[in-house]
Amino acid sequence: MRQYPRWPIHLILLVVSALMLIPFVWVLKTSLSGENIFSYPPSLLPRDPHLFFYVDVWYTIPFFRYLVNSAVVSAIVVAANIVFNSMAGYALTRNFPAKRAMILLFLSCMMIPFQVTIIPAYLITKKMALLNSYLGMALPVCSTIICIFVFKASFEAIPKSLIDAARIDGLPEWRIVLRILLPLSKSAIATNVILAFIWSWNNFLWPLVIIRDQEMQTLPLGLSRFLTVVEDTTGALYAFCIMVLLPGLILFLLAQKEFIAGLTTGAAKG
Amino acid sequence: MVWLRNRYLLTLGSIALLVGVWNIYVALNNDGIIAGRAVTADQQPVGGATVILSERSLLVAVPKGRATTNEKGEFRFTGHALHRLYLEAHKEGVGRMPPKEFRLYFKGQNLSIEKPLVLAESR
Repeated sequence: MRQYPRWPIHLILLVVSALMLIPFVWVLKTSLSGENIFSYPPSLLPRDPHLFFYVDVWYTIPFFRYLVNSAVVSAIVVAANIVFNSMAGYALTRNFPAKRAMILLFLSCMMIPFQVTIIPAYLITKKMALLNSYLGMALPVCSTIICIFVFKASFEAIPKSLIDAARIDGLPEWRIVLRILLPLSKSAIATNVILAFIWSWNNFLWPLVIIRDQEMQTLPLGLSRFLTVVEDTTGALYAFCIMVLLPGLILFLLAQKEFIAGLTTGAAKG
Repeated sequence: MVWLRNRYLLTLGSIALLVGVWNIYVALNNDGIIAGRAVTADQQPVGGATVILSERSLLVAVPKGRATTNEKGEFRFTGHALHRLYLEAHKEGVGRMPPKEFRLYFKGQNLSIEKPLVLAESR
């Protein structure tokens, strides 16, 4: 079989990667120099870079408070997603009446945008007296259907004999999930952590609807508040974007190996 | 010691270390001291000049302090809590320097101004 040289593919991939990185480089460059995209002559590297726009962001709004709020909500969402999604994922690997109908129901629910259900979600949260609270902010994203299917695929890839052996040894179902399945599904857990974290971290609409106190606002809400406070926004706005992006980016880069493995688990299954 | 090579621990530990070092640096350098000199266009020290420290909001400049230079032209502010400040200086018969912006990395950072404030006759 003839071997084709690989360098053209690598070259194309390099060019495409560079093109995809341009917006990020532009945001980073603007946050360091305040140069507008229209500045002439255009340059790839920032002229006279400094970190003062980051300082402006830190002091103009209560950034640390927003950071803590976002972190608390994301921690609740991540923990809840691992617990609820793993239980739901395990249930879907078992046989029970109307299992197919349940899976179809889940799949069809994925097609309903959150904006459609926001009024009932608000009314339920209000009845539970969770408006203006961390738990209220976390509630609608405490379980996500995509992540349930990630766990389902991961659990199905584990040999049935392990579960049967555990059952013969007398382990209850919840301990089978906790002791056998979860330790063997690290990639699915990493996928859940990353997706839940990013969805929660970037969530704007739901916190906007249920939060009333400025002290309870999260970073995306802080961004909209920041735009109303700062007049000359270009550099500081981009610095804010970098500061909001950074935690998610670090988390993704740290767990990307497990994340990719989690998304592809079961993909090659017949 | 394998756990020391864990990338989560290394990354988060490095961030924590960086934050700790930065906070120590801030704690040691946040006395809010601004020191500098005022000179004429030919670099002669200006004694008795008034230096005004101010902060600017969207619309107005808010004065935060006022100091007078000594015979060597030196001035000093203490206890400011600003991260973006403006200094202007003037002396009757010598001239004035329009507000000049200084940006700091944290509130109350000590600032030693290398280039002196130059007072010149306004045209």
